[in-house]
Amino acid sequence: MISRAAPDVTVVTGAAGWLGSALMARLGAQRPDGLVALVHDETDRDAVLALAPRARVVVGDVSDRSGIDALFTGLTGDVDVIHTAGVIHPRRVADFETVNSIGTANVLAAAARVGARRVVHVSSNSPFGTNPDVTDVFRGDEPYDPYYGYGRSKMHAEGHVADAVERGLDAVIVRPPWFYGPHQPARQTAFFTMIRKGRFPVIGSGRQRRSMVYVDNLVDGVLLAELVPTAPGRAWWIADERPYELNEIVDTVGRALRDEGFDVRPNRTRVPAIVGRVAELADAAIQRTGRYQQAVHVLGEMDKTIAVDISSATTELGYRPAVALYVGMRASIRWCRDQGILL
Amino acid sequence: MSDVTHTATPWPAANSSAEVVVVGSGAGGAPTAALLAEAGLDVLVIEEGPWVAQGEVVPFSLDQMHRQYRSRGVTVALGKPSIAYTEGRCAGGGSEINSGLYWRPPASLLSRWRDEYDLATLDPDEVERILDEIEVALSVQLVPGAPTAPSEVLRRGAAALGWRHDEVPRWMTYPDGDDASRGRRQSMTETYLPRATQAGARIVTGARVDRITMRAGHANGVDVTTDDDARRHIACRHVVVCAGAIHTPALLQRSGIRRNVGASLAIHPTVKLTARFPETMNVPDDVPVHQVKEFAPLLSFGGSASHPGLVALSLADAWDRFGSRIVDWERMSVYYAAITPQGRGRVRALPGFADPLVTYRLTRRDQALLGRGLARLSLVMLEAGADEVYPSFRGASVVSSRSDVAEQQRQFSATRATVMSVHLCSTVPLGGTRSAQRGTDEWGAVPGVGNVTVNDASLLPDAPGVNPQATVMALAIRNTRHHLATDRFARSDA
Repeated sequence: MISRAAPDVTVVTGAAGWLGSALMARLGAQRPDGLVALVHDETDRDAVLALAPRARVVVGDVSDRSGIDALFTGLTGDVDVIHTAGVIHPRRVADFETVNSIGTANVLAAAARVGARRVVHVSSNSPFGTNPDVTDVFRGDEPYDPYYGYGRSKMHAEGHVADAVERGLDAVIVRPPWFYGPHQPARQTAFFTMIRKGRFPVIGSGRQRRSMVYVDNLVDGVLLAELVPTAPGRAWWIADERPYELNEIVDTVGRALRDEGFDVRPNRTRVPAIVGRVAELADAAIQRTGRYQQAVHVLGEMDKTIAVDISSATTELGYRPAVALYVGMRASIRWCRDQGILL
Repeated sequence: MSDVTHTATPWPAANSSAEVVVVGSGAGGAPTAALLAEAGLDVLVIEEGPWVAQGEVVPFSLDQMHRQYRSRGVTVALGKPSIAYTEGRCAGGGSEINSGLYWRPPASLLSRWRDEYDLATLDPDEVERILDEIEVALSVQLVPGAPTAPSEVLRRGAAALGWRHDEVPRWMTYPDGDDASRGRRQSMTETYLPRATQAGARIVTGARVDRITMRAGHANGVDVTTDDDARRHIACRHVVVCAGAIHTPALLQRSGIRRNVGASLAIHPTVKLTARFPETMNVPDDVPVHQVKEFAPLLSFGGSASHPGLVALSLADAWDRFGSRIVDWERMSVYYAAITPQGRGRVRALPGFADPLVTYRLTRRDQALLGRGLARLSLVMLEAGADEVYPSFRGASVVSSRSDVAEQQRQFSATRATVMSVHLCSTVPLGGTRSAQRGTDEWGAVPGVGNVTVNDASLLPDAPGVNPQATVMALAIRNTRHHLATDRFARSDA
């Protein structure tokens, strides 16, 4: 696959997030100069500088144009923009639109003003809903069927990308499903803890399938999307080689924990399928009132199949996921331990 | 095939006895009758519908529905939602009126049936060899020259999405060279029924078999009502029931055979949309030969009959929004998304009624699959250049962009859609002794009644995910040869 040279300037939004941190760690090593990073809070600054010491860190909010302006001021030469900023578990449903949709429109407009070489927008599986059958797999091109508030906001963001491409910007979309790996947030710690204690709620048969992506595989995919020249407006699923059955996920994480020296209890927490259905209805009802409950949302989604086909990323970008579930989960567990996080 | 004109034998000439009575003359009954007659047996085929030769009616027309469909095409499986289905009721059965699209059952399907339904004798290689014969007998071939515009839409849309699509061969001959719209369907009245009569079989039409008469657990004839309401009894040594997946189980039930009969109806539910294009493209008297198979066997997309009456019917679910567009019917064609469902239905004969009660239940997953299927089909249409798409469900809006497709998915509910089905099957399924749904033995013989066999779509163990006619014919030929080789029909006490 023909790949362009790295640009003079790489702008990364959401640089202190899960993907953003993994990306800054890679870029800090590969192209230490010319990194410009947007973080949401002053308290995030040191964490980003620890990964990429020569980066220029800007504190601001993508939904606020003045913050974006500071990010894009004084840039010279080729500029690429990697837009990872977003909110997935907000306090209020309205934040979805403000951050994910309006924020993306702001970043695209600023990128167009500075004549960016390429913008990589990080989207999600959520604009496409869930698969109608455990054997169904989302193809590269699928009809939108957004999953509640988050899905709608990410769909609207993809719409802003399409509009920007229409106006002449070279922007592309990367769509990762559920990710795992180092730099994980606290909610993922709970996931490990539940599995270690044998208390992860497997809804129904456990045969539902999930595509997942190891965060470093995702960084590979994002950088290929940035550097491999393609038609503007393309979108690719970036995930591990194949979807995993939920049972396999729970078993593999249990094995990884055990092999890292943890005492793991067998997971016997089976929940009837109706619980997932009720949780989904509750999630919808809560979101209609403008509020958001992470636990209910995740439980409602847990009985669904969300499986994607990465073949267009393989053929168009040369993307080959290097890490699969067991190895990736062990790395993730070790990272938690190194950070002093108790599982 | 012979060019002798064959029709049915009128009743006065029909004897009142036969060695073998074949009930029904469709894709199961016709090859069964031909093989039995060619083996020297005295065969009487009893067909409820009329004999209508190919070319006598316009294909896919209302006239055809009146003459060759059961209840003029209005038959319904009750449930939430109720599902409309159609059946042929004429000499040749469904083969006279279906799309004529030939699908060879995949080897994986046959080996799955063998394993899941304890059918150790179901040999995929043997079935493959029979299919080779069928392809010659029915002149299965691709359309010569260019496909029609509605067919090209499916090819173009799928190609733009990178989705797998195929041109499906048909049992058609093309006497006018490469004119795709002048095909002559190689249905049963053109192929196996003439073969049967040439070998001495008698075919009577306009006669309905009410019940198989039994004596000491043994069939000894059939009671028949003719179109003029006359009742007759035909004595026979064997009965082969080939009345289709609805009427075969109903006839068995009326005859006192009920074990695993009618309880496992399988269908291919479909939902529809109409797409409008910038240019004139409607072909009123034929269906597209391209299908989108990217998601097969879960989902398949194809084209439906689209004469103006059927276009109007397809717009009728949201007529308040779509009705005004009917003036553009020449720029429109109707398309379907079919699913392989999890649900099963039931056929129950009701005392005093000619037609059985048919019920069918779609599962939640089936309903979700119909919705996703219709959305993916809308995408095919937009990519093929449709300027407007009209999904067939109550409350639907006009779709002209990808964000409209998202709205379509949000609005869709299977209970508000017009769900239809062809490809009814699996109501008296083949099964080994360890198969829980076993309606017949591995060769179609009804357990405990040695001289009654079933030989039609009722035998398929489950919905094959493709047009089942070739599969039905292949199994019918396989079973008949087995019965001849084992002298089942030679023994009067079988």
